[in-house]
Amino acid sequence: MTDAPAEVAGRIVVDGRPIEFADGDSVAVAIVRTGEVPGHGGCLCLAGDCGNCLAEVDGVAYVRTCQVAARPGTVVVRHPAGGKPQLPVVDWRDLTLMPVGSKIAVRRTEADVAVIGGGSSGQSAVEAARSAGRDVLLLDARDGSEVVGIYPGPSIVARDPGGMLHVRADEIVVATGSVEIQPACPGSDLGGIVTAGAAERLEAAGVDLGRVVHVGRELLRFEGDAGRVSAVVTVGMDATETTTPCETAVVDLGRAPRDVLARMSRAEGVSAVGPAAEDQPLPAPPRDGVVCPCMGTTVDDLEAAWDQGYTDLELLKRASWAGLGPCQGGACLPHVRSWIAARTSGPPPAPFTARPAARQITLAEAAADVAIDAFRRTPLHDEHLTLGARMDRFGGWWRPWHYGDAVAEYWAVREGVSVGDVSTLGKLVVSGPDVVEALERIYPCHVADIKPGRSRYALLLNERGHVMDDGMILRDAETRFTLTFTSGGAANAEMWLRDWIQTWGLRVHVMDRTMSLAAINVTGPLVKTLLARLGLEDAPRFLGHIRAEIAGVPCHVMRLSFTGETAFELHHPLDGSVALWRALMDAGRDLGVRPHGLQALFGLRLEKGHVIVGMDTELDTTPRRLGMDWAVRMEKPAFIGRASLERTAKLDDSRRWVGFSMDGEAPTEGSPIRSVENGEIIGNVTGSWTSPLLRKALMLGWQRRTPFADRVEIDGREAVVTPTPFYDPEGHRARA
Amino acid sequence: MPALEPVEGWRVVATPSALDGARWNGDDVDVLRIAPDEALALGATGVEIDDPDAIVEPEAGFSVAMLDVDDWHGVVDHIDWPLPEEPTVLAQGKVAGVPARIVLGEPTLLVVQAAYANELRSRLGW
Amino acid sequence: MVSEHIASLQPIAWHEPRDSYDVVIIGGGGHGLSTAYYLATRHGITNVAVVEVDYIASGNTGRNTTIIRSNYAIPEAIRFYDHSRQLYAGLEAETGAAIFHRVKGHVWIAHTEMGMRTERGRVLMNQAMGVDTELLGPADVKRLVPQVDLTGAGRYAVLGASHHVPAATARHDRVAWAFASGASSRGVHLIQHRPVTGLLRDGDRVVGVETAAGPIRAGVVLSAVGGWVSQVAAMARIRLPVRTHPLHAFVTNDFEQGLDKIVASTELACYVSQTERGQMLIGAEFDSQPSFSRLSSFDALRSYAYKISALLPFLRSMRILRTWAGLCDISADFSPIMGETGVDGFLITTGWGTWGFKAIPAGGEAMAELIATGRTPGLIAPFGLDRFRHDLAMADQASAGTR
Ligand SMILES: Cc1cc2nc3c(=O)[nH]c(=O)nc-3n(C[C@H](O)[C@H](O)[C@H](O)COP(=O)(O)OP(=O)(O)OC[C@H]3O[C@@H](n4cnc5c(N)ncnc54)[C@H](O)[C@@H]3O)c2cc1C
Repeated sequence: MTDAPAEVAGRIVVDGRPIEFADGDSVAVAIVRTGEVPGHGGCLCLAGDCGNCLAEVDGVAYVRTCQVAARPGTVVVRHPAGGKPQLPVVDWRDLTLMPVGSKIAVRRTEADVAVIGGGSSGQSAVEAARSAGRDVLLLDARDGSEVVGIYPGPSIVARDPGGMLHVRADEIVVATGSVEIQPACPGSDLGGIVTAGAAERLEAAGVDLGRVVHVGRELLRFEGDAGRVSAVVTVGMDATETTTPCETAVVDLGRAPRDVLARMSRAEGVSAVGPAAEDQPLPAPPRDGVVCPCMGTTVDDLEAAWDQGYTDLELLKRASWAGLGPCQGGACLPHVRSWIAARTSGPPPAPFTARPAARQITLAEAAADVAIDAFRRTPLHDEHLTLGARMDRFGGWWRPWHYGDAVAEYWAVREGVSVGDVSTLGKLVVSGPDVVEALERIYPCHVADIKPGRSRYALLLNERGHVMDDGMILRDAETRFTLTFTSGGAANAEMWLRDWIQTWGLRVHVMDRTMSLAAINVTGPLVKTLLARLGLEDAPRFLGHIRAEIAGVPCHVMRLSFTGETAFELHHPLDGSVALWRALMDAGRDLGVRPHGLQALFGLRLEKGHVIVGMDTELDTTPRRLGMDWAVRMEKPAFIGRASLERTAKLDDSRRWVGFSMDGEAPTEGSPIRSVENGEIIGNVTGSWTSPLLRKALMLGWQRRTPFADRVEIDGREAVVTPTPFYDPEGHRARA
Repeated sequence: MPALEPVEGWRVVATPSALDGARWNGDDVDVLRIAPDEALALGATGVEIDDPDAIVEPEAGFSVAMLDVDDWHGVVDHIDWPLPEEPTVLAQGKVAGVPARIVLGEPTLLVVQAAYANELRSRLGW
Repeated sequence: MVSEHIASLQPIAWHEPRDSYDVVIIGGGGHGLSTAYYLATRHGITNVAVVEVDYIASGNTGRNTTIIRSNYAIPEAIRFYDHSRQLYAGLEAETGAAIFHRVKGHVWIAHTEMGMRTERGRVLMNQAMGVDTELLGPADVKRLVPQVDLTGAGRYAVLGASHHVPAATARHDRVAWAFASGASSRGVHLIQHRPVTGLLRDGDRVVGVETAAGPIRAGVVLSAVGGWVSQVAAMARIRLPVRTHPLHAFVTNDFEQGLDKIVASTELACYVSQTERGQMLIGAEFDSQPSFSRLSSFDALRSYAYKISALLPFLRSMRILRTWAGLCDISADFSPIMGETGVDGFLITTGWGTWGFKAIPAGGEAMAELIATGRTPGLIAPFGLDRFRHDLAMADQASAGTR
């Protein structure tokens, strides 16, 4: 059996040894040619059905070597005998080739009908569909198209020599035919056993099988020597045993449906035809030996599990592991069903379901051409980088976390002037005859009395009266408003508004400007000086907003304040953003202008006690719990969340979000808040900042026990509940 | 590599019938009807529209790439939803995971919000 | 190896069903079975039936990714899940059943400042509750999980992590069978392939269940169904604040042990651990679209595969053995709902979402105590259905994230 192949095509390397192969050989056939087995014994089918030829090929373990063409340079490593492969080791140099799965191409295609399997039932399905004028795609593993799974749609995922193939079809026909039944008897895990079909393939490839014995249902067991079959023992009608020596045993036990795909395809539009869908006689119940070659489950194992009460096919499978391996029960299911039928003297149980992957793929193949999480950049991204910003992802955007020194950024806001990129804020324009009506219903505050050119802070509540988002309502004209939302909440808020407006059938136009307008927050006591230099002569009053050109850039100038200092948000078209930013930085140089990042902004807002929805709030946060009842006008007849608030207002409430302060450094955000009386955890800190100005630790956080405490323990220290804002409680500075 | 460059135009939200009758100023205007009540007119310099409540805004928030047939083949590989058969129809969906709009034609236009332009470029290897 | 595995199976006893029981539990998942077990072992109540539409543990209990941890963020949840974790740690000793319980540690990786803020808070809250969770920097992450790519495929750089030291895994169906065995050997009836189709009522009181094979009367009915809980609750005319979403998972083939930790990322919403058989068991976030479909989704598989291998590149060349899905009942506040329902004779344990495997022992123990004594144990009192009426949600969404 060691004859060199007729036509040498090159060499592959198996366990470190080069072996020659012939044109057209699969890796498995090339190995069998050398007189060895590709795995560690068990009957070979060479049709991609069993798990007996699995090995590591080119760094990928659990590859069916009968399905891989031998190519010069293919490196095959057998799995350890009786053991498992080691976890793959990463070549870290490979990782510079990003991203995941990018080296694998994905082709996408569509067809009226996709037929899986090109045997006779498949061919007739193809012809039938073609003659009905339908466009047909045929996928056959023998042509290299290995179907991984059938999915709802219906759709098919396959691997083929070009990479991954994603197919959408109106109809999928599973015509995978039948498989040869594997032997399940003592010695069936020896090497040198092949199915009749495999023997034909090997003979056609010119592989010398040595002394061959054909055996059918009379098979009793195999005898072996050094892991290879040496004889076949059969039993005759008269119960006499006959032992026939051999070098290769060829087994013909009949066929079973090749139904792994049929068993997983409960998706609509999927049907199975031909032998894949036909019941076939089950093999005789196995009496001894390995039943499930993938997992090594024996008849004794089935017996033992059954005796313990695992008497349902599904329970038996899980208890005995039969069917849990790479062939998904393809090999063992007929035997196990037959065994149960014999055991219960009843009909065989229905087959268990199969799930993808029918043919396995690697994670990289699955991940080919995946793209998730598109992160957004503001037009000022490169400006931030130039200024040394540490960028971080926040609410789906890249944003400056700090520019090296958050405390210096803080002081620039408190004592000079500073710029911050707030382009990420949600921005909607709404307009129409019913716009006031719509906004009155959506927001818990009054809207009708906001005059054009004025604005109001607003909470956005859901039906349960819980805070979803917050932002500004700015009236542009009688029937037109600009609305702002948080960066993270913008997309949701937009859907929310559109949904309600449509639900109510109100005549309101909505335009999302979130990514169309950039915005720069200019803030600090010197802000007016800076903006005047750039052309803003008549700055709007607090909560006013105007259109003005600043440094030649048309801006919607909004006067509001999150930082506690005088502040103007300059909303402007993206194409003017860099010019505006640079003009502000240049014109403010002598004023000490510097940019501030999120870290400084969080500290600044904390001193003002402003809430950040999502960071401070929970999904059950009501305005009352935030101490923001002032933002809700219960005298309004209707707004979203009103009914809930009316109901919950009558409940005792044990949750409050309040300010705390103590000496020393600020504790970590998220710190537990304890009762000073009994040490019980009564809440947690949601915001924490060592105030450079007030020189103490300021905190915002939750109390979740009543009666609410005046003094609490945080970070092992005593903190006192402190009214907010901590800084400039009258708000003189913001209005200045 | 195709260039994905910012473009200017006008964006309008108005009643569908008013939008149907909109008159766009400018040569070489590409009107993308991104919703029944919304249009993005690339290259427009103005618009006349018969809806007093229409929201009409200059728009500089989009980037566009003009794709020749080869470029387009490179893009199609990263689209996992069915494209319309007819040319000039606006298709909207994700390209390489980035929300985008496509107008099939010669050339084909690939339109994204500028905030995503960088992400799209890197995903398409541009 | 298989034989050894089978030798450690505990017997399950099957009985001829009766037409009346003191307690009927709908749903033979982990929660139904553990409740039956604790009724029998802690309270001597054995006239109990568990009625299951399919086979036992056919629902989420047999489909989940088996992570047991108590690194939650709110004290009520930490206390409850830590008690459950401790019961798990003692379960093999108590029942004699091999559940393949392994303490591994759970490394919850953060990639952004906001992610780090969450992990820091978690560490402090856990420590305050006496739960062993520590903060890690990137170098520590690398030390505990040498396979991690700290650049996160150049996109999700690792800023740090929390490390929950006692987190464990256990073989899911073994857990269900341990309880099934312990309950059935004490006389509890396990009735498989018997869908509950309605409830028997006497006035306002629920007095049993209607099944496809006839009625079964009961002193108390407990719904421990998963996936279809809204329908079963509707039989009692209860509308639950629950939506059902599919959740997918997949495993690779078997490999030698080599990934010691459970590794998770909130931002990527995915996680992996290595099973006792050596498979990589990978899960991620539930489908945003509610559905009752348990068909596998390739879109889910693709994105999970992408995310987890961005973090652990050695996974890229590993082949996927099998994918599947379960149906998760997600409550409005991402916490369970346990206890009385306001309908006499009808109790519920639900809202187990993507996180209820770890809760099987403590959930069952507490429900058994409630059934036996009529009093809601303090451990689960915060998780009653009436909390929604009182607007006292147990919101801990960020902790539910990775199972
Ligand atoms: C993919 C996935 C991964 C997960 N990972 C984890 C994890 O790592 N850690 C963790 O803690 N949790 C995890 N979970 C969640 C966990 O699996 C579940 O919360 C837990 O199993 C719930 O147990 P249960 O007994 O309530 O429900 P189930 O196990 O679903 O049992 C409910 C039973 O009720 C039956 N039933 C339904 N309707 C009827 C009816 N009308 N009549 C009779 N019977 C009925 C069902 O068939 C089912 O067997 C995961 C879930 C999934 C899907």
